[in-house]
Amino acid sequence: MLPLVKYVLKRGSILFVAVIIAVYITVLIANMGGYVDEIVKGELYLQVSQGIRQNPAYRGLNETVVSGLINATYHNELKRLGFDKPFIYRSFTYLSNALSLSLGRALFISSNSGSKSVYVIIAERLPNTVLLFTTTQLCLFFIGLFTGLILSRRYGSLADKLSVLLAPLSSLPGWFYGIFLILIFASLFRLLPYGGMLDVPPPADALGYSLSVLKHMVLPVLSWLIAYSFIEVYVRRTFFLMFSSEDYVEFAKAKGLPEGLILRRYVLRPTLPPIVTDFSLRLIASWLGAIVTETVFNWPGIGSLFYDASMLFDTPVLVGLVTIYAYLLALTVLVLEFVYAILDPRIRVGA
Amino acid sequence: MEGKQLSVEGLTMYYKTMRGEVKAVDNVSLPLLKGETVAVIGESGCGKSSLAKAIIRLLPRNVSVYRGTVLLNGLNLMELSEEEFARKVRWVKITYVPQAALNSLNPVIKVGDQMIEPLVLRLGIAKREAIEKAAEALTTVGISKDFLNRYPFELSGGMKQRVIIAMSLTLRPNLMILDEPTSSLDVLTQASIMNLLKAVKRDLKVSMMFITHDVSLSSELADKVAVMYAGQIVEFSSADRFYLEPKHPYSQKLMQSVPTLRRDKELAYIPGSPPSLLNPPKGCRFYERCSLKFEKCEVEPPTIPVDKVSSVKCWLYG
Amino acid sequence: MSVKLLKQLSTYKSALIGLTVILALVAISVYAVVAIPYDKAALLWRAGEQQWLDNPRNAMPSWVSLLTRRSLPETLILDTGKPQPGVSKAVVPVAGRFSRVKIEFSFNYGYDDFPSELNVFFKASFNASPPLVTVHWVKPNGEDVTLKTLQIPKEGSYYVSNDDALAKELRSALSGKLNKTIEYEVPVTTLLFAVEDEDLLNPGTAKVMKGAYKLWMEGSAFETGVDVDAKLTVYGKVYGWAGTDHLRRDLGIAILWGTPIALSFGVIAAVSIALIQMFIGAVSAWFGGSVDTVTQRVTEIIMILPFLPILIMISTFYKFNIWVLLLVVIALSVFGGGVKNYRAMFLQVKEFPYVEAAKAYGAGSFRILTRYLIPKVLPTIIPSVVLSVADFVFLEAALAILGLGDPLTPTWGKVINDSYRNGALYKGLYYWVLEPSAMLTLTSLSFAMLGFALDKIFNPRLKEM
Repeated sequence: MLPLVKYVLKRGSILFVAVIIAVYITVLIANMGGYVDEIVKGELYLQVSQGIRQNPAYRGLNETVVSGLINATYHNELKRLGFDKPFIYRSFTYLSNALSLSLGRALFISSNSGSKSVYVIIAERLPNTVLLFTTTQLCLFFIGLFTGLILSRRYGSLADKLSVLLAPLSSLPGWFYGIFLILIFASLFRLLPYGGMLDVPPPADALGYSLSVLKHMVLPVLSWLIAYSFIEVYVRRTFFLMFSSEDYVEFAKAKGLPEGLILRRYVLRPTLPPIVTDFSLRLIASWLGAIVTETVFNWPGIGSLFYDASMLFDTPVLVGLVTIYAYLLALTVLVLEFVYAILDPRIRVGA
Repeated sequence: MEGKQLSVEGLTMYYKTMRGEVKAVDNVSLPLLKGETVAVIGESGCGKSSLAKAIIRLLPRNVSVYRGTVLLNGLNLMELSEEEFARKVRWVKITYVPQAALNSLNPVIKVGDQMIEPLVLRLGIAKREAIEKAAEALTTVGISKDFLNRYPFELSGGMKQRVIIAMSLTLRPNLMILDEPTSSLDVLTQASIMNLLKAVKRDLKVSMMFITHDVSLSSELADKVAVMYAGQIVEFSSADRFYLEPKHPYSQKLMQSVPTLRRDKELAYIPGSPPSLLNPPKGCRFYERCSLKFEKCEVEPPTIPVDKVSSVKCWLYG
Repeated sequence: MSVKLLKQLSTYKSALIGLTVILALVAISVYAVVAIPYDKAALLWRAGEQQWLDNPRNAMPSWVSLLTRRSLPETLILDTGKPQPGVSKAVVPVAGRFSRVKIEFSFNYGYDDFPSELNVFFKASFNASPPLVTVHWVKPNGEDVTLKTLQIPKEGSYYVSNDDALAKELRSALSGKLNKTIEYEVPVTTLLFAVEDEDLLNPGTAKVMKGAYKLWMEGSAFETGVDVDAKLTVYGKVYGWAGTDHLRRDLGIAILWGTPIALSFGVIAAVSIALIQMFIGAVSAWFGGSVDTVTQRVTEIIMILPFLPILIMISTFYKFNIWVLLLVVIALSVFGGGVKNYRAMFLQVKEFPYVEAAKAYGAGSFRILTRYLIPKVLPTIIPSVVLSVADFVFLEAALAILGLGDPLTPTWGKVINDSYRNGALYKGLYYWVLEPSAMLTLTSLSFAMLGFALDKIFNPRLKEM
């Protein structure tokens, strides 16, 4: 067991360093190397001067006094927000904050509940993304697995040939099919909604609420299922084909073992590690919220949050999102290397 | 002791590839008596592995032709459905030890679990009893029963081969087909495996079909010898006769190319290479490389019986 | 080797179809580049509405007329500056500085549907006093309607179909005639072209009065040497083979020019990223040691960075021109996950005996890399390169649809973005979305089909039937 633990710890620390650097790069990019500061400062100045000039308490004051007041308030605000120090200095503060997940306050965006805490904003939207994409990925996984497994034993059949023929259809991304689904079902037939997650106004009762969400989930999930089922089935089928020509599968057949057992124990089990790894990585990646899909369907998840934050240049939100993602990804990689080691005895025994 | 264990008649198996149809097994007939070992020898690519797989119906994905008669103790195996064949024949009556057994064990399942699979699943034996039997089998082949709890990658090549041989014996089959059981092993291990097989033959009286390209190796076990060339059996003979007096020109050349221990011998070789199985020549398939050929050989020779036991597929004897 | 490859490929029908479509797309690209050189195309596309004023707005492609049973109107232009039958202009001096101005436009209108807009463009040369004319409209049944009395500007137009006062007037006249109130706001174009019967009460059943129409104006000019030119534009509902967008631009230009842009973007990105990644993987595997370690760490860091979000962040800040965007995409992808795959492959190949032999005879690292290692691995990466072209084409389209990317270059994604922004789906302007989508689909599918067939040929583990 000890070599395993040492291995995991070593990989863990390397990955953590990678996360640190990745987040720092994001901090730099999200602030455009300090250029965003100029924008923010400019906005701030505008806000402050407008605020003061429109304040009745300061009407009638001498111009120089007013300017002086504006400048003073401006500099106070700068200090308060920490903008009086050069960017590089602040970038490290951003970094350490991000890494410890104290994500601060958004510049422009606020959550539905009115909070400006980045954490709340993200926490509010993350479940929506997780809901949509976990459903999608699970469906794709099982469709691919079962169909692929069955097809691998029926090589050359019509269904098999069809799966190969249709695979190129997956070169079109999910959101592309999404546009057409919207065109057909929302625009033409007026059956399903154009986008969003809930009816407006949302139903008050739990059942109505869930049904409304389900109704809105149909098109996005369908768009991904149509797009990616083909390639999923093709890849799994090819994968199982390759592995069912392994010698031990043939030997199992020579032993007269029943077909179902061969599929489960001799085809599926040895190939579980890469399958599980692949699925988990994909699942986590999907939680970043396919940005284009969420935007096309107006789904209030972290993908569209990312888009909104980018448009507004709300850097705290951007940095927060990327940090969470980086952590998630690094953590997944680590956990998976651990799980892989358990599933594949060759690694566990340290061969 | 006497009595036909296996009777193969006219077994034919072709499969389709991108370049055409490969006539891997072409009208092969072969008898095997109880307790006897038949060695099937031939070059690589002559179809001997395909013959073995054709007998136990491990057909390739792209099989196109599969016909003939395979009688096992009188029962025609070709008439059985796939499910019946798997249930009644595979492993219970005929076992198969594949070539390069190195990858024949499931890497993620313990050795013991794999050994008891056929016992528990096919014969319904209780797990504990099955484990005992498996331990016994391992001891028979000279492996400590600790290995029941290990994984295949912890075994050397020779040990894996022994495990597979042990597995083949647990259900006391009528016939064991061994496809090049020692070709991927070093000479020492090879020798010990051959000793094991000799012991099995002697003590358990199992009928065996031993497939190899190594002529001298085959002589250690063979009672009868079948020579395969380009998908056909060109000579079938008793072992004693064969190694001293091979009849078919190809067999003769084969024997001439094998070095002997006690004599100085000038080794011969056969010029050319075997015909492709995609489009085998019309007449005798050895025609191109035969030094004894004559006019008649442009027509395919029938299998001509030479005595009660042997037969040759050559016009020289017709 | 390539002849053998082509032979093998030809056994796969999907590959042949894919290849044919790709060749067709290349042909279109060549045509686009030759027929409308890039600068001209860019100029046309970025030009304001002035450039496109002769086109109808949001017009459908002409061939739609074939699908519907009604004949849809094309744009009709009568210009006094270009003499043609049906156009007459007279500026006749009368007394002193005065001149009589009379302009007549006659045309035949036989379509089943109403024009989308009606506009008269004016150009006049005068000093201080603009000429004054009254504009009339004559329907085939002889009815003459006074539209408006106006001063002719030096350069301007009388946007007849936007004339609200005229619309109100005509509507009340119509209600009077029919003795019924009309439930909807009948547009000017309908009022001027319709048969005035009960069918007019419903916008769906209004009938066009087919026949000879005339727009004529008569009036006076108040200075010597005054000249007046007018251009009547009866805007149709169809245009060209691709239709027009909200800025009256011929969509055909965007569709045509989108082709070479999409193809070059996709292919250049796919090929360069694969090659560079492969090279990095090779160097990392071959030299091992610290080179390898550093490369692996850098790769891991870049892998943790989410590609699309970073790309979006950069794009919102810098409005990239499409070729700079291409460079950025390549730069961000170069240390991606592919490096790890290639490295694994090279680690295997490195152990092959003939590589050892090469080392033994003293071959330098570079020679071994380029002569032995890379050529061995190269065939296996070809399928994935071809397949990834589709991904990059869609990446550019995705950025365009999100409103990022190059705002000035006509790409398919940009067209979809425009259509989305202008509510094409709500307004039923399906052609606007379908045309660029069809191009994207064709491009992507063809490369995918080719890629999958190549995979069956080159992938050593897929040697099946």
